[in-house]
Amino acid sequence: MTADTTTEPEPEDDVNGDGDDNDETQGHLARLSPGRIALYGGLLALVAAYLSPLYSGLTTAFKSQDAYRETSPLQPPIDGFTVDPWLTAASELAFAMLNSFALTIPAAVLSALFGSLAAYGLTKVDWRGQALVLVLFLAAVFIPYQAVLVPLRQFWSMVGLSQIHPRGELVELLITHVAYGIPICTILFRSYYQTLDGELIEAARLDGASLARIYRKIVLPLSIPMFAVTLIYQFTQIWNDFLFALVLLSNRANYVVTLELNALAGSMATDYSVQMAGAFIAALPTILVYILFGEQFAKGQTM
Amino acid sequence: MADLQLDDVTKVFTERDGNEITAVDDVSLTIEDGEFLVLVGPSGCGKSTTLRMVAGLESISSGQIRLGDTVVNEMKPKERDIAMVFQSYALYPHMTVRENMSFGLEESTDMPATQITETVESAAEMLGIGDLLERKPDDLSGGQQQRVALGRAIVRDPEVFLLDEPLSNLDAKLRAQMRTELQRLQEDLDVATIYVTHDQTEAMTMADKIAILNDGELQQVGTPLECYHEPANLFVASFIGEPSMNFFDARRDGTQLVTDQFRYDLADETVAALGEHDDLVLGVRPEDIELRSTGSDEHSYETTVDVVEPMGNENNVYLTFGDKHAESFVATIDGMNRVEAGQSVVAHIPEEAIHLFDRSSGRALRNRTLEPTAVAEAQF
Repeated sequence: MTADTTTEPEPEDDVNGDGDDNDETQGHLARLSPGRIALYGGLLALVAAYLSPLYSGLTTAFKSQDAYRETSPLQPPIDGFTVDPWLTAASELAFAMLNSFALTIPAAVLSALFGSLAAYGLTKVDWRGQALVLVLFLAAVFIPYQAVLVPLRQFWSMVGLSQIHPRGELVELLITHVAYGIPICTILFRSYYQTLDGELIEAARLDGASLARIYRKIVLPLSIPMFAVTLIYQFTQIWNDFLFALVLLSNRANYVVTLELNALAGSMATDYSVQMAGAFIAALPTILVYILFGEQFAKGQTM
Repeated sequence: MADLQLDDVTKVFTERDGNEITAVDDVSLTIEDGEFLVLVGPSGCGKSTTLRMVAGLESISSGQIRLGDTVVNEMKPKERDIAMVFQSYALYPHMTVRENMSFGLEESTDMPATQITETVESAAEMLGIGDLLERKPDDLSGGQQQRVALGRAIVRDPEVFLLDEPLSNLDAKLRAQMRTELQRLQEDLDVATIYVTHDQTEAMTMADKIAILNDGELQQVGTPLECYHEPANLFVASFIGEPSMNFFDARRDGTQLVTDQFRYDLADETVAALGEHDDLVLGVRPEDIELRSTGSDEHSYETTVDVVEPMGNENNVYLTFGDKHAESFVATIDGMNRVEAGQSVVAHIPEEAIHLFDRSSGRALRNRTLEPTAVAEAQF
């Protein structure tokens, strides 16, 4: 008995070792039943359907006007290949891109920062009437853009920032976006701060830190993943906004990229190549933001 | 350096539906300078709330907390000169060990940076974490994190040191080791300390003085041995000691106690101690029950061994009176003494070792008689 048990495992282990590899490859093949094949086929078709507009947009952006007229949208840009549409679109959109950056970066940062501060006050500081304020924040998340357009226009014409300075309109838009972004940022930060160990804050209080110092030294550094989430979200929202910009901006020099892209489409009605290139240029920053903050974003999502 | 005094401290929480819950009820305690007080009780007994009121993290509903001659009720935590170690350690995860330990000094004192460095380094040396100063808490083991948490508290050189279940996240072996280390540390620092725990072993082994809380009310304050041998009431008797004291509901019939299982003759002086009370609970510690193979003298009873738990140095023997399904009681005997389940033994319950409690109030009417000097002389 003892001899058997000591000698047997060795050859068995070897057999298992070889067998595992075979099993795996065979297993993969075995699982490819007709149903599976149909499923993968269907999924591939869906991928193609979703990507085809993007693809045809990209091919169009690299085609000359002639090539655009003569080839099908799905055909790759081989004969009439040109980067001119990109250059044209870039030069047309350049000032609007700058306006958009000047608007979006501070607006996203400010709304995230204010949201974080508000959420800190709503979770880690105890005061009366907290619940009511929270309800107001929650309600504000659901206010539709369309509902505030008219009062917003009236409000800013009463304030009259645009009369003080030619760039005033852009500041109006910036403040509007910050205000509109605070509720959702607050809610996002609030759920994050609720999971933050309360004993950390208490330890800092015992260590002698004031409320402001606790925020600055403890809460803020621990909020970085959540800042990535809110910054990406706010950046995308504000960058892509068309409606507020349309209502608040009247001076062409202040146009943000969404408005200018629209103007580009209007002015060059037939030049789809330039329009496609312009659309890609306008979308590029949001994609870059995802790539830059993606890792932190994933971290924030799972926390 | 000063004494910490709690006078009739009460904490009432108001729930959202308006219900009031008294978490801490009229607690009065004095912790002398350099004294190690362990506040012990089951979960939810108000011990942590009491600690948090001392720290200033919780407001005081009524009563007074004084540090020396100063009433600290309305003072903010940072003004109280108190340091606390949290159950979760609450180390700042984004800071290094050095930054964690310096933070309090930076925030609450105007100590120059070089002196902070010096203080932190010497505290870290003392705790044996001198080589971990540049690490982040996540890179440390539980025991090391524990030391950092202690270090963060001691660099502040506080008047009062508060510890909230600091060992509960450590494994058993490390816990035993940290127990002695903490004790030594507290002796070196010589500062008034309140240590909160639900673990009666920690309370017994570490405390100069134990305060036992139940349902927000202080049950007894005394040295560990006082609480063990002279419990003020049933709760203390059952809470302190492992395995816990055996209890038998008993009625007094003249000079005899009558329980469901046996009768127990009482000496005159014991009877005198009982006064008018005759609805009683008889308590006896497991180690006071003597097991014999035969015998029929006074206070000895025929029992059957139900279960034996060998602990190595001793055996916990669960005994029943005849009927196998009757509730068992436990006796602790020497580990070399072999007893087996099913065996019949005679359990002797010596009268000097019994405790008697009034059943309705739980108050101790008679505690075991103690002659510790006699034991010491006999041994050496």
